Amino acid sequence: MPEVSSKPITSRYSVVIAALTILALLGFLFVGRLVRRFQEQEKAVARHLYTQGLIEQQAGKPELALEHFRGALTYSPDNFQYQLSLARALRDSGRTDEAQTYLISLWERAPQNGAVNLALGRLAARQNSLDKTIQYYHNAIYGVWDSSEQQNRLNAWFELVEVLLRWQARPQAQAELIALSASLPNDPNLLLRAADLCMRAEDYAHAFAEYRKVLQLDHANPRAAVGAAEAAFNLGRYRSAEHYLEAASKENPGDTQITRMLEVSKFVLQQDPFTRGLSTDERTRRIRIVFTEAGKRLESCMNTVPQSSTSMSKDDALPALKAQWQQMDHQLRRLGREGESGLADSVMDLVLKIEQQTSNCPITPQDEALLLLAQNRGGVEQ
Amino acid sequence: MSNFLRVPPELKSEPADSGPEGPVTVRTRSRFLGVAPLSEERFFIIISVFIGIFAGLAVVCFRLAIDWTRFGLLGAAPEPHTLRLIVIPTLGGLVVAILVIAFFPAVRGSGVNQTKAAFYIFNGVIPLRTAVGKFITAAIAIGSGQSLGPEDPSLQIGATLASFLGQRMNFSREKLRLLAPVGAAAGLAAAFNAPISAVLFVIEEVIGRWSAGILGSVVLSAISSVVVVRWFLGTQPLFRIPPLTVFRPSELIAYISLGIIGGFAAVIFAKAIAYFRPRLHALPIPTHYFQPAIAGLVIGLIGYLGAPQVMGAGYEYIDQAMHDQFTWKFLAVLAGLKILATTLSFVTGTPGGMFAPTLFIGAMLGGAVGGIERHFYPHLTGTTGTYALVGMGVLFAGFLRVPMTSVFMVVEVSQDYSIIVPVILANACAYIISRSFQALPIFDVLTRQDGLDLPSLEELREESVLHVEDAMKAPPKPILNSEETVRDAAFQIQEAKSDVFLVRMKPAGWSSITRELLQRFSQEGKAEMTLGSLLPPQRLPYLHPDYPLETALRYVHQTALVPVVSRADLRQLDGVISSEDVLAKYRVAVD
Repeated sequence: MPEVSSKPITSRYSVVIAALTILALLGFLFVGRLVRRFQEQEKAVARHLYTQGLIEQQAGKPELALEHFRGALTYSPDNFQYQLSLARALRDSGRTDEAQTYLISLWERAPQNGAVNLALGRLAARQNSLDKTIQYYHNAIYGVWDSSEQQNRLNAWFELVEVLLRWQARPQAQAELIALSASLPNDPNLLLRAADLCMRAEDYAHAFAEYRKVLQLDHANPRAAVGAAEAAFNLGRYRSAEHYLEAASKENPGDTQITRMLEVSKFVLQQDPFTRGLSTDERTRRIRIVFTEAGKRLESCMNTVPQSSTSMSKDDALPALKAQWQQMDHQLRRLGREGESGLADSVMDLVLKIEQQTSNCPITPQDEALLLLAQNRGGVEQ
Repeated sequence: MSNFLRVPPELKSEPADSGPEGPVTVRTRSRFLGVAPLSEERFFIIISVFIGIFAGLAVVCFRLAIDWTRFGLLGAAPEPHTLRLIVIPTLGGLVVAILVIAFFPAVRGSGVNQTKAAFYIFNGVIPLRTAVGKFITAAIAIGSGQSLGPEDPSLQIGATLASFLGQRMNFSREKLRLLAPVGAAAGLAAAFNAPISAVLFVIEEVIGRWSAGILGSVVLSAISSVVVVRWFLGTQPLFRIPPLTVFRPSELIAYISLGIIGGFAAVIFAKAIAYFRPRLHALPIPTHYFQPAIAGLVIGLIGYLGAPQVMGAGYEYIDQAMHDQFTWKFLAVLAGLKILATTLSFVTGTPGGMFAPTLFIGAMLGGAVGGIERHFYPHLTGTTGTYALVGMGVLFAGFLRVPMTSVFMVVEVSQDYSIIVPVILANACAYIISRSFQALPIFDVLTRQDGLDLPSLEELREESVLHVEDAMKAPPKPILNSEETVRDAAFQIQEAKSDVFLVRMKPAGWSSITRELLQRFSQEGKAEMTLGSLLPPQRLPYLHPDYPLETALRYVHQTALVPVVSRADLRQLDGVISSEDVLAKYRVAVD
């Protein structure tokens, strides 16, 4: 009678299964509580270790920070922030290969992440890899940031320009600065930072424009005034330079650099023989002054500096220049006459030569102005 | 008995559930809502799921216990040059030794062999005390820095829980015996978070043979335990796998060299354990109290002097190695130190497993070899992570000698099939080297040292199985046909030396007739009758040439000659076999 004999066994199985199910549920509840408690503890430990690591990192102890970040990751292995900090610590402690591998693994998980790209960019910069540096910095600039997106992007951009300038990669730096300037908000500090970088990149035109923007926003910004003056001065726009330098000089009366540039600017503006609209007599007078000043400088340099220390001593450059100067001095009386239009250029060529050859001698604002006048014939802004 | 014609002999079903306690199978036709009532078979399957769940819960608790112990004893982030690193493993070793000797003597070592012994010797019975003892002692040992892993203890805990459930439910002896590997697979799968590898390992190492009867339960329990572990601890593996680079064919040389180096490392590791374990065990009992403490002291010193990575299971450091956080020189040092530390921990009888240390050594060795190779051949594309992963498989194949598990483990952990070619190649190299220099796999060595003799899959693979074709003879001429008359048949056998002849029946099957019977038919006036009409309807059993010879043993006593026929055409006779042929072949094989 199988039906009869099976009933007790089947019902016993059912009871056992029910009991086991209840037991399993109780087990789930118990283990669930344990696990939650454990995970909270793990997170707390990870946070503590991470904080310790940050402190060590800020204290300039990347090796110790490394250990703490590793410890934090042991308890919270998927925490992106911890991973990134570890990669940075690896980089800062000179373990560039390890840092690179680690960062690339992070990058493969989040190629759009701005912080990871910035870290990779910094690493590439350490490895002097120009293309990769630009690539990763660009990824960071156009990437996704968890917070302060605009600020982080601009910081990355400024940093890229700094790196490029450090490498003397001026064309790339100038290109980045043009794009950066176009993206900057009307914040005097940011504009000033960009203008300073333009100056370092020798992009005086953009520097001047940025300084002027700053001055439009903050009329009394002394740094911007000095910067605008320097930019204008370097651009050969001495009238603008004089304007900003006078303003800056009032703010910084003891600043010798400003004073010097102001003197040079004034001298250039006063003695430039190529200023448009000058009468022939006035132009001749100015050329004579410039020529005389150059002669004085040559004389003084020959007397004060041993020939061996001049730049072309082996060729007896200064005596030769002296002879040329004396010869030109005889011809100078023809200056201003008709048919002698090329003489003014010859005079200025000699002035330029003299100033270049005597560059090792102590230089006065007047000498500097002479050099500028000789270099920028007709290009001086009035 | 016409069905006998088509049913291969070895597939004839054996009576189920016929243990000494008597059959307990429920045979009933009654159904409720179309659901068949529970038989012991089905109940066993359901219990396998519960075993998986309970093993999973136990393993989660075990992992928490280890981590909490480590937090409490060694601190969150052990740093070198801390005195605690020396004191804790030493004291931990002492406590563990006292617990093992005084309260839980059955928990020494890894637990794999104990589970295997339960399956083969103790009818699946493992006392619950074993699981409790293993849980406590292994948690203290691993948590205090002994260089051992949690997987083998988890395997034993799972097996013990399964055995306990089976005993409480009065399962038959046969089922109870099967429960141990079911629980073992659950425990290992939960600990390793890799069900396929766990199932394969249990088949390769615990059961030692492929058995379709148990496979379903083993798989079910392994999967349910993994589900439980993932429920609580998440789906992430024990170590994160970095992106793996697809290898170029020329890089296979690099992986072969990894396999060779790993093979030799595995041999050194296995030989060191095999050499020191019996010697330390043979020392006077009082020294047993101090052996784990001394091991802990040495391991603590290693940690104190700058390599705390070798302490404990070390999964976090495998993770770090795979993510290129160590130089290849340091990785090589760690591999060497881990072999030393694990050997010390294991040979002193400290409870704990060898899975994690094996993976650790493999990962460090793989990373180091990868680092060296990339240093000299920078064009190699393999990352450190790739080499470390292959290295883990290499040590698994070389040290534990579980080639199938080693390959599937790497593929399962990495979830990347592209790595399989270098893994197989490197593992094969390590396996061959290990077998060449170490005759027995480490688990077999340990069982022999413990005075046991348990079968292993490697041994089974080595056995040369005799087949019917090895013993069969050419069929005796002539072969008669059932449509022939007795006269024709008698004429044909006149010249023959044999007294027994096979008859090809129509439409299928074989029968036999003796010279004597043919003569009798002739004398009885049946000379014009066909053989088919005179022979009994019962056909001879037949065999195919590829059957194991032991299968023939079941049939050769029924008839003087058993036909051996082609699988493609059952009427085509390939040979015949008799009991004399079978015995003669076995005699030759034994000699």
